Amino acid sequence: MTPAWPPSSLPIVHESLQKELFHKLFDAAPDPIVIVDDEGKIILINAEAERKFGYKATDLLLKPLEILMPERFRNLHQAYRKRYNLSPGTRPMGRGLELFACHQDGSEFPVEISLSPVHVGSELLIISIIRDITDRKATEHQLQIKAAELEHSNRELSRSNQELEQFAYVASHDLQEPLRSIAGSCQMLQRKLGDNIDPTIQEFINFAVEGSKRLQDLINDLLSYSRVTTKAKEPTLVSSKAILERVIYNLRTAIEDSHAQIIAGNLPEVQADQSQLTQLLQNFIGNAIKFRSEQNPIVSVDAVADGKFWRFSIADNGIGIEAKYFERIFEIFKRLHVREKYPGTGIGLATCKKIVERHGGKIWLQSILGQGSTFYFTLPQPEHRDRV
Amino acid sequence: MMQNSVRPIEILLVEDSRMDIKLTQEALREGKLRNNLHVVMDGEDAMTFLSRKGPYQDAPRPDIILLDLNLPRKDGREVLAEIKSSPDWMRIPVIILTTSRAEEDIIKTYNLHVNCYVIKPVDMQQFIDAIKSISSFWLSIVALPPEHE
Repeated sequence: MTPAWPPSSLPIVHESLQKELFHKLFDAAPDPIVIVDDEGKIILINAEAERKFGYKATDLLLKPLEILMPERFRNLHQAYRKRYNLSPGTRPMGRGLELFACHQDGSEFPVEISLSPVHVGSELLIISIIRDITDRKATEHQLQIKAAELEHSNRELSRSNQELEQFAYVASHDLQEPLRSIAGSCQMLQRKLGDNIDPTIQEFINFAVEGSKRLQDLINDLLSYSRVTTKAKEPTLVSSKAILERVIYNLRTAIEDSHAQIIAGNLPEVQADQSQLTQLLQNFIGNAIKFRSEQNPIVSVDAVADGKFWRFSIADNGIGIEAKYFERIFEIFKRLHVREKYPGTGIGLATCKKIVERHGGKIWLQSILGQGSTFYFTLPQPEHRDRV
Repeated sequence: MMQNSVRPIEILLVEDSRMDIKLTQEALREGKLRNNLHVVMDGEDAMTFLSRKGPYQDAPRPDIILLDLNLPRKDGREVLAEIKSSPDWMRIPVIILTTSRAEEDIIKTYNLHVNCYVIKPVDMQQFIDAIKSISSFWLSIVALPPEHE
């Protein structure tokens, strides 16, 4: 269907100027345009085609279109063109096909070709717009290289992770064996020496036993800390409410013994590694109970929407923490109390930080010494999770 | 019952920790069953013992095997696989005695038809009690298969 000329979207151009407008449009087009007749002979080309192919329009008049292609494609294209003429339709050509055009000097460049059949009078003409895609091909090539590099990096990372996990397991296990000999032998010493041993001897044996127990705890905790990344699983949609219930079950003895009360607000569904989120909440609530004041511990767990995140809070009425230690407590093995008063290796919060940051969130706290602490962490809302 | 107390029980202990060897010896001494405890300290020696080769030509066939997992030269997991796939030894009860709590180890060894998996207690008294329980269960409660068909 031939559209009305001039198109209604154009400001009215006087008939006498329309021809001039057409010529200027034709030669101003940024892509080469080649018009052929139904036998594939070139009847008109634009200025850009002259520039791109290195010919004068007059040189190409009535020459076959295939002259603009490398020799090896000419037969194939002829066959294609004949088929096309049987049922011509507007179509882009080149999707999936490696097409090349050929400059007058013999040099080739990759192209994409679109074809539009037009009936002018009784004649069938094919308007072919030829786009040089050298740049696009170069970019695609770059992308391919980058993708291959990325895949390679990923494989390296995965291998490195596996090595690390193996190392952590082997190190922790090989360290346990001699530890066991030390701790075990001390116990046997106590047994064999009986009750009437010099209290100083008893004391030193106890130091050895305690030391080796502590070392065992440290090794286990280090292993568990390293597993935050090496044993990490893809996050899934989990109910933080269900996880809290699980944690309360896990801590039931400590909760009973301390007469603790756990109060839960409305807890949402989140995208997380289930076992890590469990570890996270268990560490926080376990701490809230462990570092309690004289009162029975009351722990409030809540979540509030904050932009693209859920902001969780775990508030307690325990002994609180001095502001100057707020950064330090998230560091590995940093403790604020002597072991006798509050047991633990000091890895719990470092593990929490690692878990939260691995999920793309932040962790921080507010606290007043003697009154209690509130720990906060954020997790991206499921719809907003980009990557972990 | 296949096993009566006419002859002492032959126990093969495959273990590389000298302390655990000593404890096992003590525990078995304290128990009431007459037994001969044979000790090898790595996986290769375990196979040589079972094959009655080299220095073990006169070795008896064990009635049960206490097997540690992490051993020098040949690993306990390999030893287990070889024992349970050999028609000569597959019926000998194998009890894994290890510090490993790893779920993978538990699953893999049961897949290889280990008879049971015991995690070594950290407390020495508990360890001694465990050895006594093991020998009492496997050697006076359980019916052991005859040596020959």
